[in-house]
Amino acid sequence: MFHAKKPSTMNSHDRPMCVRDSGLVLTTDPKPRLRWTAELHERFVDAVTQLGGPDKATPKTIMRVMGVKGLTLYHLKSHLQKFRLGKQPHKEFNDHSIKDASALDLQRSAASSSGMISRSMNEMQMEVQRRLHEQLEVQRHLQLRTEAQGKYIQSLLEKACQTLAGDQNLASASYKGFGNQGTPDMGAMKDFGSLNFPPFQDLNIYGSGQLDLLHNMDRPPLDGFMSNNHDDICLGKRRTNHYAGSGKSPLIWSDDLRLQDLGSGLGCLGPEDVPLKGDQIQIAPPSMDSGTDLDSISEFYETKPVLQGDALDERKLEASSKIERPSPRRAPLSTDRMSPMINTGGMTQGRNSPFG
Amino acid sequence: MTMAIDGAQLELYFSGYSSTTTTATISTENDHDRGGNWNGWSPMVDWEALSGPLDDFQDLIDSMMDDGALMNQSNRLTPDTSNSMSASGTVIVDEETSCGDDLKGLRLVHLLIAAAEALTGLNKNRDLARVILVRLKELVSPNDGTNMERLAAYFTDALQGLLEGTGGIHSNKHHSETNNGPYHHHHRDDPQQRHHQSDVLGAFQLLQDMSPYVKFGHFTANQAILEAVADDRRIHIVDYDIMEGIQWASLMQALVSRKGGRPTPHLRITALSRSGSSRRFIGTVQETGRRLVAFAASIGLPFSFHQCRLDSDETFRPSALKLVRGEALVMNCMLHLPHFSYRAPDSVTSFLSGAKTLNPRLLTMVEEEVGPIGDGGFVGRFMDSLHHYSAFYDSLEAGFPMQGLARGLVERVILGPRISWSLARIYRVRGEEACPWGVWLAAGGFQPVKVSFANHCQAKLLLGVFNDGYRVEEVASNRLVLGWKSRRLLSASIWTSPSDPDL
Repeated sequence: MFHAKKPSTMNSHDRPMCVRDSGLVLTTDPKPRLRWTAELHERFVDAVTQLGGPDKATPKTIMRVMGVKGLTLYHLKSHLQKFRLGKQPHKEFNDHSIKDASALDLQRSAASSSGMISRSMNEMQMEVQRRLHEQLEVQRHLQLRTEAQGKYIQSLLEKACQTLAGDQNLASASYKGFGNQGTPDMGAMKDFGSLNFPPFQDLNIYGSGQLDLLHNMDRPPLDGFMSNNHDDICLGKRRTNHYAGSGKSPLIWSDDLRLQDLGSGLGCLGPEDVPLKGDQIQIAPPSMDSGTDLDSISEFYETKPVLQGDALDERKLEASSKIERPSPRRAPLSTDRMSPMINTGGMTQGRNSPFG
Repeated sequence: MTMAIDGAQLELYFSGYSSTTTTATISTENDHDRGGNWNGWSPMVDWEALSGPLDDFQDLIDSMMDDGALMNQSNRLTPDTSNSMSASGTVIVDEETSCGDDLKGLRLVHLLIAAAEALTGLNKNRDLARVILVRLKELVSPNDGTNMERLAAYFTDALQGLLEGTGGIHSNKHHSETNNGPYHHHHRDDPQQRHHQSDVLGAFQLLQDMSPYVKFGHFTANQAILEAVADDRRIHIVDYDIMEGIQWASLMQALVSRKGGRPTPHLRITALSRSGSSRRFIGTVQETGRRLVAFAASIGLPFSFHQCRLDSDETFRPSALKLVRGEALVMNCMLHLPHFSYRAPDSVTSFLSGAKTLNPRLLTMVEEEVGPIGDGGFVGRFMDSLHHYSAFYDSLEAGFPMQGLARGLVERVILGPRISWSLARIYRVRGEEACPWGVWLAAGGFQPVKVSFANHCQAKLLLGVFNDGYRVEEVASNRLVLGWKSRRLLSASIWTSPSDPDL
């Protein structure tokens, strides 16, 4: 594609070319068309990116940035326009078929625009690559930022827990309870701090029904904790391993949930008696108020084996969009199964709830 | 709350079936026929005709609810199927409930609007409003039922607050900590304080995980900030309402990983704080500051934190800020993220006006997007608010249909108070034009800053992880709006105020 510098060649078979000093390849048609070689195009895309994207860049600024002699505004204008057009069509960046879509778009726009005919497949490929690269950059940044936010939130919850629960030790279950006077059991909610939002994975996760409930009820070592109404923490953990994203999350989306992994967020829990592998554990809500709190949270993270089949299928985000108006949905079956076991006070202390 | 378990509810829908109905539900009350009323009934009630005592209201309201029973009755099966009720009952119920629910939902909306009308309309009638609200409360519960029903419960609650005059933002000293019921009639500046912290934290985390609202606001603003200060070495952000400082974690991370060989800049954040009750969401502004300092240290970002107090009436004085020459100034204004507390318009005005005088490099504004206001007055805005939060609820449910209790918590701790605030605000300013802050900024001489391709891309990517129903629109060159289906919910806009307007 790229023509080495040589004096003008008249090639009867190819399009007549003429090479200028700056390395630009121009055709010698009646209408001199600039040939956008791979290298030139790359410089173009580079310049555009520097300027902040095809929407921000103008032919003038591109020309300045590229600094290629002989390149005129006219050339740049039309090329930029095609470039923009090529970029427009795909709106769904989360689509896996994005690569195909872009290529398709490119080809379509290439076919329709006469000026594009001269472009080679290679150039188009490169443009697609560029575009993808940009999007991947954004994606990567988004992921990092989300992780950072998650980390921060986790520290927030940890500190809040510490404030409320007094000194904590990861290894020991020295959770101090509080009266109903107002301080809630922070433990209940710390787990949410540790929930790191998984970007870019299917939120399948939340409904795929593989969440275990981690509940540590036995607190003999805890003094003054158990007021009658004061129940305990539940911690959600996803069992499925779909998600491998923000690994920093203390609430690790893996089978081997270790309490240590949960960070000091679990300081309020007694780590020693946490059966983690696949056991479903009872939840007890704090009863300071309506008692629906932990119900909700535990429900949120609960496993719904009964619904698993449907859940997995229906939990695709696409499917769920079918739900438009509130459908006559009562609380999920599993909640109902749970509810007999959840009382607002005087919780039973079994560790393994028959959730199975 | 499936039929199998809740016998009482079972009866609600099957009240027509068995003769042993005992629950005093609406459907049973109206067995003696009001059917004719329903056919001719329209939402516009003839208020003039209502001049009698309470009984008349009762009839009126009953008639509004009547068709629910009618629907159920018309779909009734023969009584001998009642034996296998539990088995096939659920199936029957589903069919019925889908019709019944939609209808019931509609009836609830009508009742709510009627109550709003009664409260503020031309024919103000507080007694009528009271009766309607009583009836509504019988019908709905914030804990169960469909989205519409739960939403109606909160709106009922909010209206009740307005009716009783306890709906004012600053009017309440109540401290009911134990929320035994889902209804909280009282709200203050920080209603979250009334909830236990664990509730608040849990609800917030759930909200974060279940919906993109918070992240959308934060990330869009942050991306704009990053782009605006790309080459600066010193950045100063003045945050109107820092809350827990969560927004800044991701910005800090982005700053330390700037590409292009640019050195890591120094970041300074000044948080405006209200004098008086400093206890926010979780912890104080100082605590937020400490947390941010620790976080910055953990990622190696040069950082300093300052606090600047607002006046007692929450007015912002630019002179109270400490500015440093050569720093890029950014004003950040997050107003209506779901878990944010209410801010008085005057306070916001003072912040924005003050910002103008400082000529910041960038001003980021995130606020709720309200529908076209027109002159619907209170009722119009009430309906708009209903629509708004209905979309909210729907968005949560669509993403997490099975997690009703989790959503219930978010609704109770975060959305419920918001609804009360919104209504109280609408109530207080009825008659006035409320304009979005974006409009105010444009009129105030701020210039729009274009939302970049990357920013828009980021927003779309973010939404892509959630339900398909979310969408982001670029409604103006400097404004992205997050919406659910066809309803716009949250707006993020970017502005600048250059010292030389010719720039």
